[in-house]
Amino acid sequence: MNPPLSSLKLLESATLISQGAEAASISKVYRGSLSSEGVPVLLKYRFQKQYRHPKLDTSLTKSRVAGEARALLKCLRHGVNVPGIRMVDAPAGLLGIDWIDGITVKYLVPQGLDKQADETIDQLAEAKTLDQFGITIDALMNLIGVEIAKMHLADIIHGDLTTSNMILRSPQSTADKKNTELVVLIDFGLSYHSSLVEDKAVDLFVLERAFASTHPDFEPLFASVLAAYAKMLKKDWAPVQRRLDDVRLRGRKRSMVG
Amino acid sequence: MESIQYPQFDLKRSKVHIALFKNVSNSGQVKSRIVAAATAEGDYGLQERAAVNFAFVEARLITSRQHIETAIYQAILAEEAGTMLTKTVHSEILYFLNPTHNISEAIKRYGISTDTQDLILVRIDEPNVKEEAVEIAMKSVIQGNIEAFSALDDVTDWMTVKKYHKLSNEVAIAATRGNPAKEKSTIDTIVTSSVAMKNVMQ
Repeated sequence: MNPPLSSLKLLESATLISQGAEAASISKVYRGSLSSEGVPVLLKYRFQKQYRHPKLDTSLTKSRVAGEARALLKCLRHGVNVPGIRMVDAPAGLLGIDWIDGITVKYLVPQGLDKQADETIDQLAEAKTLDQFGITIDALMNLIGVEIAKMHLADIIHGDLTTSNMILRSPQSTADKKNTELVVLIDFGLSYHSSLVEDKAVDLFVLERAFASTHPDFEPLFASVLAAYAKMLKKDWAPVQRRLDDVRLRGRKRSMVG
Repeated sequence: MESIQYPQFDLKRSKVHIALFKNVSNSGQVKSRIVAAATAEGDYGLQERAAVNFAFVEARLITSRQHIETAIYQAILAEEAGTMLTKTVHSEILYFLNPTHNISEAIKRYGISTDTQDLILVRIDEPNVKEEAVEIAMKSVIQGNIEAFSALDDVTDWMTVKKYHKLSNEVAIAATRGNPAKEKSTIDTIVTSSVAMKNVMQ
């Protein structure tokens, strides 16, 4: 039996929006619409991998789409700001989620100042963008900490926390009373379920490293993220904090093998 | 009545008509008619099945147009893939709406019942079928007033939706205390997402 074609046809009518270096090996992301004149949705397509046996490929793809959808629903039920799910076609490798209008935090936090000459220009541009969103950098870091805390309280580990996987909703989109949440976490492709302090600490450590590499001169901002996170976790913060210190010393991998 | 087009689907299921009926007065009668039509024989049986060839959805359990559209979409996908668990694409919509895998519970809760007051009718069909004809067919079965989908806001029974989806004690809902608008939109997102991912729910 041939696989149903509707999901592939749907992608043909959609616009490819990202195929990032790393993501290209896993999935492609499109902006499309489920029906004519429908609202925009984000379509994440895990395409067929030619290097795998087709049967294995189908079953892996299916379980990954399922895993991502389950993590999203769990987050939704725990009040974490994540996109709602709009369609799932697991055999085709397609997941449709709400389109979030906004900008990734990566472009809001001042970037590394590689070129001295661009320094002032860059910073001016960034400040302006933050102004447009009517939010200070500290408030933004605070919101990020709160979302990560809510996610960890739900025992979901993101697996790929970076400033590219967080979106600040645009003011136009929050003007609609339904979207009051500001920072939305995205891309649960590497997420999993765990209540271990180790996994939560590593999740935070990954974000800390991401801050250090993407925004080298603004690493202290990460302290604001942690402060907000600690406040949400209350009594559960102390063990995570201790473990985070350990992880910083030894790196992400616990075992020294491999 | 409103019509939605899905160009990506096979022609025979590429157009969907949905209508919200309020103050339905003959729900008991419609229900017995659907049940009788299922087993009626001969030409009469064919006629009757064609006449009630809709999904009859209990409107008070639907939280938004997006909610019902998501169930319709997943039902069509299942029909296309040959993975339906019920007999028709219309009953499959009811199956997707219900949070459990129990089909008779899905039909009991999300289908028409003797005390249904507000109803959503859905017809999945080919694009050549005239919208007027579908609306006439709907009106010939249901005694009630067709209203715009925006009227669904006054119909939704949020307490029952929360109960069926076991949401009352969820963190997300507790966090919206004191903000009914936010609570409703949170419930809507969770419920819609549950319908979309039902197939992979484990």
